[in-house]
Amino acid sequence: MSPLRAGRWLAAIPMAALAIATVYPMVFTANVAMKTRHEYVLDRFAPAEGLRWDAFATAWASADMGRYLANSILVVTGSVALLLLFGSMAGFALSQLRFRGSRLLFLAVLSALFIPFQVIMVPLARTMGQAGLIDTYPGLILAYTAQFLPFTVFLMTSYYSGIPPEIIDAARIDGNSVYGVYGRIMLPLGRPALLSVGILNALFCWNDVLIALLLMPSAEHRTLMVGVTSLRGQYSADIPTFAGGVLIAAVPVLVLYLCFQRQITAGVTAGATKG
Amino acid sequence: MKRRALWSTALIAPLALYGCGSAAGPESSGGGGEGGTLVVWDWKSGDETAKSYIEAAKADFAAKHPDVEVEFVAQPFDQYYNLLGTAIQSGEGPDVMLFNGGGQLRDRTDALLPLEEFLAEDMERLAGWEAFSADGHVYAAPVTLQGHPIYYNKALYAEAGLDPEAPAATWEAFLADCEQLTEVTGADCFALGNKEGIGIQFFLSGLGSGVLTPAEYDAWIAGDRDWVSPNVKRIFELWAETEQAGLNNDGVNSTAMFNDEFAIFDAGDAAHVIGLMSDVGHWKDFSEFLGAENVGVMPAPVVTAGAEPSLPYDGGIGYGVAEWTEDPALAADLVRSLSSATALEAFYADAGAIAADTTIDASSSGPATAEIVDMLPTGKPALHVALSAETLELMGRLSQQLLSGSVTVDDALAQLAESDA
Amino acid sequence: MPPLATPVRTPVRPGTPTPRRRVRSGRGAAGRSRAERLAPYVLVAPAALIIGVFRLYPLALGVNFSFTGDGDRNGQAVGLDNYAALFEDPLFLASMRNVGLLVLLLPVAVLIPGLLATFIYLRVPGHRVYRSVYFFPAVLSPVIIGAIFNLLLAFDGPANALLGTVGLGPVDWLGDPDIAMFAVVGVHIWATFGMALVVFLAGFATLDASLIDAARVDGASLPRVVRHVIVPGLSRTIQFVVVTTMIGMLTSMFGLLYVMTGGGPEGSTYLPEYYIWFQQGQMGRPALASAASTVLFGVMLVVGLGQIAVLRRAGRED
Repeated sequence: MSPLRAGRWLAAIPMAALAIATVYPMVFTANVAMKTRHEYVLDRFAPAEGLRWDAFATAWASADMGRYLANSILVVTGSVALLLLFGSMAGFALSQLRFRGSRLLFLAVLSALFIPFQVIMVPLARTMGQAGLIDTYPGLILAYTAQFLPFTVFLMTSYYSGIPPEIIDAARIDGNSVYGVYGRIMLPLGRPALLSVGILNALFCWNDVLIALLLMPSAEHRTLMVGVTSLRGQYSADIPTFAGGVLIAAVPVLVLYLCFQRQITAGVTAGATKG
Repeated sequence: MKRRALWSTALIAPLALYGCGSAAGPESSGGGGEGGTLVVWDWKSGDETAKSYIEAAKADFAAKHPDVEVEFVAQPFDQYYNLLGTAIQSGEGPDVMLFNGGGQLRDRTDALLPLEEFLAEDMERLAGWEAFSADGHVYAAPVTLQGHPIYYNKALYAEAGLDPEAPAATWEAFLADCEQLTEVTGADCFALGNKEGIGIQFFLSGLGSGVLTPAEYDAWIAGDRDWVSPNVKRIFELWAETEQAGLNNDGVNSTAMFNDEFAIFDAGDAAHVIGLMSDVGHWKDFSEFLGAENVGVMPAPVVTAGAEPSLPYDGGIGYGVAEWTEDPALAADLVRSLSSATALEAFYADAGAIAADTTIDASSSGPATAEIVDMLPTGKPALHVALSAETLELMGRLSQQLLSGSVTVDDALAQLAESDA
Repeated sequence: MPPLATPVRTPVRPGTPTPRRRVRSGRGAAGRSRAERLAPYVLVAPAALIIGVFRLYPLALGVNFSFTGDGDRNGQAVGLDNYAALFEDPLFLASMRNVGLLVLLLPVAVLIPGLLATFIYLRVPGHRVYRSVYFFPAVLSPVIIGAIFNLLLAFDGPANALLGTVGLGPVDWLGDPDIAMFAVVGVHIWATFGMALVVFLAGFATLDASLIDAARVDGASLPRVVRHVIVPGLSRTIQFVVVTTMIGMLTSMFGLLYVMTGGGPEGSTYLPEYYIWFQQGQMGRPALASAASTVLFGVMLVVGLGQIAVLRRAGRED
């Protein structure tokens, strides 16, 4: 057995333990959601007395979840599409093209990454208000795009700078314009990074509460996580209903990840063949 | 670095303005009264138990103004004041908003309309106005009363051979009872959670009237607080002593008051808890677990001769009107509907709140409620509600240090006196 | 200083950097059309515009706001008063000390997903399962994660029961000021390592797999493969994960702190983010909160750019 192989088997044990530990909270949350409030207060760990779906039903009904779900899907899809498009364009230019001002632009993107949301909270709300974007879908999509674009550009820049310039040179010699290189080379090559940053951005937008609360004040424009979070009162009294809402909200992101994760790593293990 | 960032901002800003110019006109998109809609912010209207209350208030308002629509927006409590602050600063916010009584309201009176001329008729019927008043003006109408009765478990008393109907009246007798309770039943004397640093607030207010003389108590509320006086010192000594004597459950500083402390009492693992009157951790919750007949309420045991135990309570939550609302009279009418007798009756019955309307008959909800209502007329404002948010925060931290023994009572009081000065 | 100026190596053999060229589209490409020369600007423009208008411009306004007063002095210029108040506030100072602690703990937070991704890449038995489930905690709301760990770490909870069975005394995980911060950071790492894992896995896609095969043929040990093949090949990814993990630690632990400790015990788990929320929301002092945000921004900028510089140099020496 090669040393590498032995090391892998050694690693498998703690990794399996960790896998159990990462599944546990899901199971725990599902169990809590099936309890009555009474059961929960008396013993949080004991298995629920039966399969009760009330918490999911209550959570679904008490916050207008169907509507919120549609809002969330609309806003998250729009934001992620813009993020991936603008992020990959800028990442390509900043990593592979040389132009005047590129250093400064990259620095501006980086510094935007370090802005705590609180410092821009009030000015952003005011700017959005002046532009008539408060309580509109384009407004929230723009706000999410702005919030997560620095992260996306940074990631795409990092990723694209790992791509050998020979590939681009070859494409240029073949007569491709810069845009052609972007569309025909960089987008397909960026697939693993685009998928993973897409999933992360979808997760960030999906789980955001503060920005959505701030910019979408009216009840019918709320996103799913805002609805779920509002299930908690001042003293978070009804934990089972809240747990039901949390699970409802978690499922779409989880499904998204499970669908795409194989493709993220599709190119990864291809080379490490003979295990 | 920053200069460069600003430089690029300067470059981009004109483009942004150009972009904005083509957007919709500058009219405000916030909730105004003119278009026939009033927007209300709170953290209650989403609760299942508050549904009937909101319905009743809406019906009451609709009878007066059938053509005006009311939109309730339930915000998550942890971000509520943050959002409200932002809305106030950017001038876009609701017409009517919910507040906790005390500091949260007083810090934001700039953004609120004085309501005394609109609410004159309700002054008699409702209690708890002080918590919603500042500088001689009233800024919100009380919905609930919030206070800190000492609850005890009558079943445990009976099991320990104590008379469930005659809890101890003095501190020595109380300590003796506790010893017996723990010995026979294994339950702790107090359920206490001080993770958030608010256990001390309940302790101070719940037991304070048994320690301070009436004159000292009134002076404290009036703002004349002598932190190093023997009786004030005694309260904080009791806080440390009860922990050292093992009267509390384990891990007080890592036990959350909401809802771990109350769960300990619910499960019968502690004989006493200083709880709330409304919302949660109160008679309705406890009755659900222990049975209404087993939930008792006792006055603070007398520690110092001359003290006169009283129920500490204030206005709990109340609705106020934003200063920028377009039709103040209309918004004030909605506030009146939100504290109308029918609405409050529904809130009391379904959410288990002690409503601010003293005319509601609460005697049917079991002995604990009846006792609380009986104690209301002689009740006084709670000691901790009189303190500033800053002092409360410091007191919370110091109380944790007192429990872990990393600060002395004298040191803690000196720091509090300085903060409160 | 920014990465674009630095030649980045394509690893051909471990430890033999190859300089790389860039596509020239600016000066020097005289034959190119005007449209070609403008292309980079066109590609960057949407991102630059959005970031400029909705991030940097509000930042300038927000920083400006930190020089005004709260309460009675609302709207008045107060110079540096807010900053003076901050640095006299023991809570704020405690939160800054905790920032230092987080920066020290950062390597752990990066190492864990890095190692896990490596093992998944090397196809540890069961790697497909791990790849799927390690992301689970990341999709749960911090409030629920916090609530679960509140129970697990309770004084009479399962964690202490486990310690009890091996004869160790109970630990007051969330009640002891010397331990609570580590407990919360641990939970945060546990809740977020799935995200860094995804980024690492994407980074592995750019690794040249033949290098690993070559190393394997040479009989190289795992630490040597990591040291000489994986780390150099992933230097950009590592740099990215370091910076974003730091940002996550400094700006997205509010939910956990709110649920797990509320800043306590004894103020030991305050972080600037929590302090900002507390001052703005609970104490009604938005201008002071703005000043605290500005300081946090400055600290993150310095630490973040510092990290990038250090990591770049380390990558070059390798």
